[in-house]
Amino acid sequence: MHSVVQIENLTKEFKGRKAVENVSFSVEPGEIIAILGPNGAGKSTTMLMMLGLLKPTSGEVKLFQGDPVSRAVHERIGVMLQQVSLMDALKVKELLALFQSYYPNPLSMEKLVELTGMTSDELNKRTEKLSGGQKRRVGFALALAGDPDLLFFDEPTVGMDSTARKQFWLTVKELAAQGKTILFSTHYLQEADDIASRIILFNQGKVIADGSPLELKQSLLRQSISFKMNETTKKEILMSLQDVLDVLEDKGRFTVMTENPDHVLRKLFELDMKLEDVAIEKGRLEDAFEHLTVEQEVS
Amino acid sequence: MSMLLRECKVEVIRIFRNPYFIFWSLLMPIVFYVIFTKVVNQGMENQAEWNAYFLMSIAAFSVMGSSIMTLGIRMVQEKSEGWTILLRVTPLPASYYFIAKMVGQSAVHIFSICIIFLSGFLINGVTMPIGEWILCGGWILLGSAPFLAMGLLVGTMKKVDTASGVSNIFYLLLAITGGLWMPMEILPKLVQTIGMWLPAFHYGNGAWSIVRGDFPEVKNVLILVMYLLLFMVISVYSRRKQEVV
Repeated sequence: MHSVVQIENLTKEFKGRKAVENVSFSVEPGEIIAILGPNGAGKSTTMLMMLGLLKPTSGEVKLFQGDPVSRAVHERIGVMLQQVSLMDALKVKELLALFQSYYPNPLSMEKLVELTGMTSDELNKRTEKLSGGQKRRVGFALALAGDPDLLFFDEPTVGMDSTARKQFWLTVKELAAQGKTILFSTHYLQEADDIASRIILFNQGKVIADGSPLELKQSLLRQSISFKMNETTKKEILMSLQDVLDVLEDKGRFTVMTENPDHVLRKLFELDMKLEDVAIEKGRLEDAFEHLTVEQEVS
Repeated sequence: MSMLLRECKVEVIRIFRNPYFIFWSLLMPIVFYVIFTKVVNQGMENQAEWNAYFLMSIAAFSVMGSSIMTLGIRMVQEKSEGWTILLRVTPLPASYYFIAKMVGQSAVHIFSICIIFLSGFLINGVTMPIGEWILCGGWILLGSAPFLAMGLLVGTMKKVDTASGVSNIFYLLLAITGGLWMPMEILPKLVQTIGMWLPAFHYGNGAWSIVRGDFPEVKNVLILVMYLLLFMVISVYSRRKQEVV
């Protein structure tokens, strides 16, 4: 099977500042990808480049093996941007019908209503009279209008109340079950964890982790103990200790990766090794996640 | 093709639902017409001729305004709100968006012209052979092309406020220097000289010629075509430049 999305060494500079730096990943059909990261991490910029709305400074994007701005690709994607704006002076159903006409095999109006949970009252309203939450729902319907194989949602649940949020994710899961590929950006750790089959974690324009929510959580818990040791201790002995995940050696300094540093330290002392300059470090993902959790508490 | 037709139809619907359009493009010109034919310039020796002449001025004034302003400002609005960005990731070809905007606007102009002509007949009993009515209407419709292109140019601006301010000033300056408010002959000499090289006078003059029983001058056509090309080139160029982000 071919990748649905393929990104290679994507970089975007704004006035000399790198907003996105050397990002590479690919997405297989049926995946639900969360692009997770604190505000300003480069999530939206990356998404806009994927859609061909922003020109990368360097690097390449391919959707369905093709140019993201080609009509053939546009017929297979659905997009909901961060700021939903709708054509004014049209009723919701007129706007939806217009969008349906853009695609070769659109979803039926009934299906769109069913998936997004719009009411018939909303369908007959002019777009400028909708509330923020209703606009989002219409934006969602517009993204689905062409029955796309690949969906992009940039911060989709910002401005949704909890009921709307629930309905939205329920539909997304249903779409994924139908084999659609979904890519969404979020700064809510919880959302990424609940929905995504894979999380790509961004921080300061770079991908700092990429894996299933479980893998990410494990590597988050992973801490390291580093120390200097003159004795010619074999790496194998350290590796054989309980709870040790990995051991690195660099110029006489050992770094032991573990989820349980207390226990490993006790073992090291029990072995009566001459440790010098001991340091315990948290996983490198910690910082990024701290950002995310703090933000969640605020909002 | 059906995609383009539907897009045009939607544009027409949207313009008609816009209360500002009805006010500025229909009500205002008709009020103007009443003032300048019933109140201010009463009792002229060739009143009937003036009534027909000024009806053409006011129709041209209306269509020119909605070409520059309605088209341009709406485009800036749709761009700044992010609607056109979303359109760029749909299969709708970018050219359809522009074509639909211009065709839709022109379709609405047919309606404006009919209403304004009809009110000329009802208010002042302006009459002409049917052929001349059609010729005048056709001229005002087709002659608006450079102003539509100017609207496209306004549409490349970034802020709605700028677009609205700039297009208002250009619109009024063009209308005055083109003799659409009062005849060219009573304007200062300098304004006349400048106005002769601007598109509005030639736009109005084509219709005035038809009312007099002549045909539009070749010079009128040439100057309008020249401005059409000029505005098209500039707006395509600045759009290209903006796209490379």
